[in-house]
Amino acid sequence: MPTQGPTSACMSRASEDSPSPADVQAQNRADAELLRKIAGGDRDAFAQIYDRFSRPLYSVALRILHDANEAEDIVHDVFISLWNKAPDFEPTRGSALGWSITLTRNRAIDRLRSRRRRSELLEQAAPADLGYEENPPDSATSPGELWLKEKASAVRRAITDLSADQRAAVELAFFGGLTQQEIAARLQQPLGTVKARIRRGLLKLRDTLAGRL
Amino acid sequence: MIDERHEELASLHAFDLLEGAELAAFESALSTNPELPKLVEDLRNTAPAIGLTAPLVTPRPELRARILASLPARAASPATPAKAEATIIPFRLALWTGWAAAACFALVSAYFGSRYFAATSETLALRQDIELTRIEAQSSRQQIEAERILATRQIADLEKAGDIANLKIARLADLLGNSPQAVAVAVWNPLKQEGVLTVEKLPVLQNDQDYQLWVVDPAYTNPVNGGVFTVDAKGLARVQFRPDQSVSAVTTFAISRERKGGVPKAEGPIVAAGTF
Repeated sequence: MPTQGPTSACMSRASEDSPSPADVQAQNRADAELLRKIAGGDRDAFAQIYDRFSRPLYSVALRILHDANEAEDIVHDVFISLWNKAPDFEPTRGSALGWSITLTRNRAIDRLRSRRRRSELLEQAAPADLGYEENPPDSATSPGELWLKEKASAVRRAITDLSADQRAAVELAFFGGLTQQEIAARLQQPLGTVKARIRRGLLKLRDTLAGRL
Repeated sequence: MIDERHEELASLHAFDLLEGAELAAFESALSTNPELPKLVEDLRNTAPAIGLTAPLVTPRPELRARILASLPARAASPATPAKAEATIIPFRLALWTGWAAAACFALVSAYFGSRYFAATSETLALRQDIELTRIEAQSSRQQIEAERILATRQIADLEKAGDIANLKIARLADLLGNSPQAVAVAVWNPLKQEGVLTVEKLPVLQNDQDYQLWVVDPAYTNPVNGGVFTVDAKGLARVQFRPDQSVSAVTTFAISRERKGGVPKAEGPIVAAGTF
């Protein structure tokens, strides 16, 4: 994910216990290097990327689909895509993790939309209803895992800094797999209001997380 | 300079929420506003971070082995085909002219066909967008109207509740003894400075007489005129009254028999009176 100079006073909150921009850049460079090796057919590098990314990617798929088996299928597809598309990765355009999350989200949402029981599952996808418990990693003390946890904590703090309305709108936009109109209907708000909340929420996140993605 | 509208479109774009005419308009703006692509890239890189808010859950260990086992072999570079012995075919213009013309025609047709379909679908999307906007505006208007009606009712209810809580009721008793069955009740609203007087079985008066209501407030030396009224053949009357002067501490209501049209100061006999 790209970096940007500090632009907001609220960044101080996100910076508590979160990786420094220098750490983030170093980790992003390391991930990019792994992808470069994967592009060259390095299976060990692929295994390392799996160990680093599998938890967040699986968590995103699970949050969207609420089905462990389907989430595993998505993660499987995404990692095969990472293997195949690694040569296309452009480190200057964003982080490998952000790229991988986007791939995961897109595939999970495609799956969500194609489900027969779509309406029932959309009900389960309400932002406040997580439906499952966070579980500890197998290697909680590994530096990569620690870095991921710190980064996730920084993002969660930034999300918490949004107003409840903005938070609901951006979370539904990201995880819900809904159209604009469906989001507005779900939140029982006019479409214009929902659009404005998504705009303000995402811009604030950008400012808060500048240099930390 | 990026206006709010384009910031909004860029935000929606970051979540892949743009479709149809909105998407076309935004893509067009992307090519004309040099600052917009940077914002789009920033937001498209910020949005995935929201994925990190999902509770971290570890997939089953078997998944790792399954994925690693299913990695396809890295595709080798396409083999360069061996160069065949070159055979030179003489180029004959007349032979190719017809084919070239046909190919050009097909390309032009395909181009205009695709433009036609693109324009058609864009028009359709625009119409849908306009219709959605219209429905949204109508819905908003209805919502505002509903809220206005609701608020008006609530205000009326509150006023009513306030009025009822402040109402004072006085029963006026016959003083002359010539109509002991007479009943007179005055309901007084001090906030509105008005009241309702209901009488039953008061004697019917002569044509040149009226009953006159008096409001007694210690702030005034004389009772304040509350207006005149008559009763029907059964002695019934229901009149809404408002004293001539503002009264703040009403203690008593009284009814006197006066000459037609009433008098500024009570002259006739008091036929009934009552306090709160």
